[in-house]
Amino acid sequence: MNRLPGPWGSRIDRSRPIPFTFEGKHFEGYAGDSIASALAASGQWVLSRSFKYHRPRGILSMTGADANTLVQLPFEPNVAADRTPISEGLSVSAQNVNGTLERDRDAIIDRLGRFLPVGFYYRTFMGPRRDSWLKFWEPMIRRKAGLGVVDTTAPRRHFDKTHLHCDILVVGAGPAGLNAAIAAAEAGADVVLCDENPEIGGSLTYGRHDPALLADLSSRLRALPNLRLLTGTVCNGWYEDNWLPLIQGDRLFRTRARAVILATGSIEQPAIFRNNDLPGIMLGGAAQRLIRHYGVRPGQKAVVLATGDEGYCVALDLVEAGVSVVLVADPRSGGETGTFEAALRGSGVAIRKAATIEAAEGSVGNRHLSRVRVGGSWIECDLLAVSADQVPAWQLPCQAGAKVGYDAVSGSMTLSLPKAPIHLAGSVAGDSNLQDAITGGHRAAVAALLGLGHAVGEERISTRPTAGSPARVLPIVAHRKGRDFVDFDEDLQVKDLQNAVKEGYREIELVKRFSTVGMGPSQGRHSALATARIVAEATNRTVAEVGITTARPPVGPETLGVLAGHHEPLERRTALHARHLALNAVMKPVGAWWRPYVYGEASEAEEAIRDEIMAVREGVGLLDVSTLGKLELRGPDAGAFLDRLYTMAHANQPVGRVRYCLMLNEMGSVVDDGVACRMAEDRFYVTATTGAVARVYADMLFWNAQWRLRVDVLNLTGAFSGLNVTGPKARAVLEALESDIDFGREAFPYLSGREGVVAGVPVRVMRIGFTGELSYELHCPSSLAPALWDAVMTAGKTYGLKPYGLEASRTLRLEKGHILIGQDTDAITTPDELGFGWAVSKKKPFFVGKRSIEMRARLGQARKLVGLRFPADARDIPGESCLVLRGNAPVGQITSIGFSPTLGCTIALAYVHIDDSTEGSLVTVKCRNGNLVDVPVVAHAFFDPANARQEM
Amino acid sequence: MVASAVFPFIAGGAAHGTKLPVGAVTLSDLTASPRFGLKGGGSAAWLTAHGISLPAVNRIGAHHGMRILRLGNEDILLLAEGAGEALAELKAGWANDTGPKGYSSWREEGWAWMRLSGRHAPQAMERLCALDLRADEFGVDDIAQTRVGHIEAVTFRSQAGFDVLFDVTASAYFARTTAAEAMYCIDLPIDTEGHI
Repeated sequence: MNRLPGPWGSRIDRSRPIPFTFEGKHFEGYAGDSIASALAASGQWVLSRSFKYHRPRGILSMTGADANTLVQLPFEPNVAADRTPISEGLSVSAQNVNGTLERDRDAIIDRLGRFLPVGFYYRTFMGPRRDSWLKFWEPMIRRKAGLGVVDTTAPRRHFDKTHLHCDILVVGAGPAGLNAAIAAAEAGADVVLCDENPEIGGSLTYGRHDPALLADLSSRLRALPNLRLLTGTVCNGWYEDNWLPLIQGDRLFRTRARAVILATGSIEQPAIFRNNDLPGIMLGGAAQRLIRHYGVRPGQKAVVLATGDEGYCVALDLVEAGVSVVLVADPRSGGETGTFEAALRGSGVAIRKAATIEAAEGSVGNRHLSRVRVGGSWIECDLLAVSADQVPAWQLPCQAGAKVGYDAVSGSMTLSLPKAPIHLAGSVAGDSNLQDAITGGHRAAVAALLGLGHAVGEERISTRPTAGSPARVLPIVAHRKGRDFVDFDEDLQVKDLQNAVKEGYREIELVKRFSTVGMGPSQGRHSALATARIVAEATNRTVAEVGITTARPPVGPETLGVLAGHHEPLERRTALHARHLALNAVMKPVGAWWRPYVYGEASEAEEAIRDEIMAVREGVGLLDVSTLGKLELRGPDAGAFLDRLYTMAHANQPVGRVRYCLMLNEMGSVVDDGVACRMAEDRFYVTATTGAVARVYADMLFWNAQWRLRVDVLNLTGAFSGLNVTGPKARAVLEALESDIDFGREAFPYLSGREGVVAGVPVRVMRIGFTGELSYELHCPSSLAPALWDAVMTAGKTYGLKPYGLEASRTLRLEKGHILIGQDTDAITTPDELGFGWAVSKKKPFFVGKRSIEMRARLGQARKLVGLRFPADARDIPGESCLVLRGNAPVGQITSIGFSPTLGCTIALAYVHIDDSTEGSLVTVKCRNGNLVDVPVVAHAFFDPANARQEM
Repeated sequence: MVASAVFPFIAGGAAHGTKLPVGAVTLSDLTASPRFGLKGGGSAAWLTAHGISLPAVNRIGAHHGMRILRLGNEDILLLAEGAGEALAELKAGWANDTGPKGYSSWREEGWAWMRLSGRHAPQAMERLCALDLRADEFGVDDIAQTRVGHIEAVTFRSQAGFDVLFDVTASAYFARTTAAEAMYCIDLPIDTEGHI
């Protein structure tokens, strides 16, 4: 119905009709049409309802920069209909309607506006009861406020992420950006040029320009292999060191550019008058885009509001597209008659100077523009094209540190950039016409090239033209009845902002927060300048003094999929992973590691865990401890280094001995433990907890850099695997293996270490363990771990050796009262609170955290970690983290708890008040069901407190 | 009795069964290939004394068919793909030396060694690594100690593409991550056509 004949419509392919639906009705467009253009071609101008008053809204900018055209797709809300192409069978619906787009029950709100003044919600939703907000208002507002609807059943989409590096990134492929990119690439730079549109050219594609210019730029661009072009790509932010996210559909290019040229253009501004939001009122650029990109006639009978050549070109385009232009209103009082103005007059179009649009009226229900008032007279029309004011696209420059200024003479915003490898070109830099933009692009390229050290030959940076643009400030025509919208997203009118100032919010950032101006999807693109002018007038300041609100990334909306991390979770497998799977282990993640939880069927886990525990207590068990942190410290000062880092003494530790290691941070809190085996005078093998080794290693590197001792730190966590052979029959199993190590009690006593070969595998063996039983921990190069595992399993058959999993290990260690760092300690745990005074050297002059624990000791100790033993017939058993009370006050918590098959009762570790920490004291624990239970304190080691078994 | 080594991708290994991408992006496992690392005081001096000319830090040199990766002043890795004999001789000399000689860095055990090759290997690396790996910026003898596939890694150019050394326990993860990214490596994510 509104489709123009070719050659109008550069983006559409008339040979490929595309059917789709909107609000359940069938429509047809052409391949290349946007949803909005296809609907407009069929006479469907209303696309949505406004956020607050539910007023009909239609095409405003055709740039995806406003909330008017947001629509709902089946699996995606808030889609810009003026940028999203149609596809076969696409089902599109309107958003923010109660009922249908045509008949929206909430349209009544438009008549209740006076009861909904700016900031009304800050006062309205407070009562009547304290919980009214949560119970009543918030649910209601959520229903009303939601724009689109998220479909949680939407199919999974892949969002591709990649990195992109270049010498120069040019954002915007309009005339300035194209010239900048081509100039930079022709000088040899590696250039990336991106543009949000599907084609290059910017205003050259829809404005009234010589097509030969774009064709020439295009052919030069194609001849440059070092110029990479990204069309359909939004540069959505600027971050430090020229890191910029480029979003092309579902693909994110994480881009790092040595220099950036921002040729982001300018943003046309709406005019403000009563009913300035009616469908049929659009920006001049939108009308031109409809005509040239999509071959759509934007109206039948038009009025154009113009303040310069751009506006007159819009009027000429409309005339050529067959639109009857009844009037061009030009607020300027006179001035030169330009070429375009003369051409218009030649076409018989009436031009009225010193005139602006004073008000508009719509058809029934305000569904379309029906007439505008100019100079007191009403003029019938169905299109008002506003080409009157523009602001530089300030978002990216401001994120990069640009300061916004205001030229009161020309009435335009200005931008200044800091001294950095960032440059502006084109209308964003104030280049006000095509020739200036082309020159500006070239100038920016030369500046960027020089900054990167490129030889630019005889080129010189031409100076920016100094002649300012003529003033063309649009009057803001406020109306006593309102509906003179400043911010279409939030339905904010002139009086709303004036009232915000009257409420005392003088500063622009406060006005924004009180009124929500600029908070909607368009992020102030069409309201920032007008808001600044209104606030300036209301506070008797200049626009420059008022300024605009802070611009932060992202520039435009971005889907969460683009922001989401990668889909492959990090996993680490020990060298024995396949052995565990072959033994039918139930594997569970522990941090990034996969560890066997229990061997056997998950459905019989409880019984299997008990069997594993009993195997260790009565026979022999085998545990994969490869996830343990393993560090090697080598060098003449290795002992001295450990002395400074850990609480015990290591410099004097004999070769072949193993010593407990306790690590504190600088505030004296316990952060890790392990053991250190001295393998040679200059070599220690040190273990760290699975979860903390990365931090311990990093700390070691840090301190090594500070202390500059002669020591090298090597993280062997992945290089070495560990097998713990534990239980009364452990020695017998190892003695059955071919080895050069004497595993006898005297030859290899508790807390000693040996190097040798077991079953053909070079090993480091330590007599340590977590179970309280006779234990040997065998560490070997990881590639040989499967061979060692197999050998131990084979040798163990005679002794009933059983591999055991993590859960059995946890219970075994709890029975022995061993702590788990991170589970039984927290951010403030001191050695004294753990009863680990024995592990802290009193003689060493220094170790990390020493001064802090001495200072903290002077403050007095408030709590202590103790054992709790519950009666075998206890009915109420607390869980981990359940509170320990003293009176009614919480004084601690359960840190570990579990049923001990060995002891036949539940045992726990818990922090209790220091006065309750002596053995036999009764402490009160609050169970998850709220019941309080009194339970006696026992020593840490529930099992074999004399250590007879582990030292046998 | 000599035990046989089991590396992640071979039968009985922790990553066995994990598919390696083949085609436009090919991931090959070199973890079983001979290599040897020295780290700590005395390492550089010992290697120099044995006739190896050490490159600058983060650069690669060569010696008797081996690639000499200088990861730090006293952190050197020798890769001996196709030069196993030369390496074995050097290792034997080191093992028998009782004087100052640095310390083994156990890289042959701690690090997996994999190679990305194929027509789209550069695109795969662009997805896996944030570093600027353009040929002009990252040459054939350059080393990057960085993150690849979100884990710490050492990478450098090989004849066929990029070699990556990383924590051996993450072998299955790295292969899956690379395979996942390989699926989306296409010829022209960036074009010069312009659709005009």
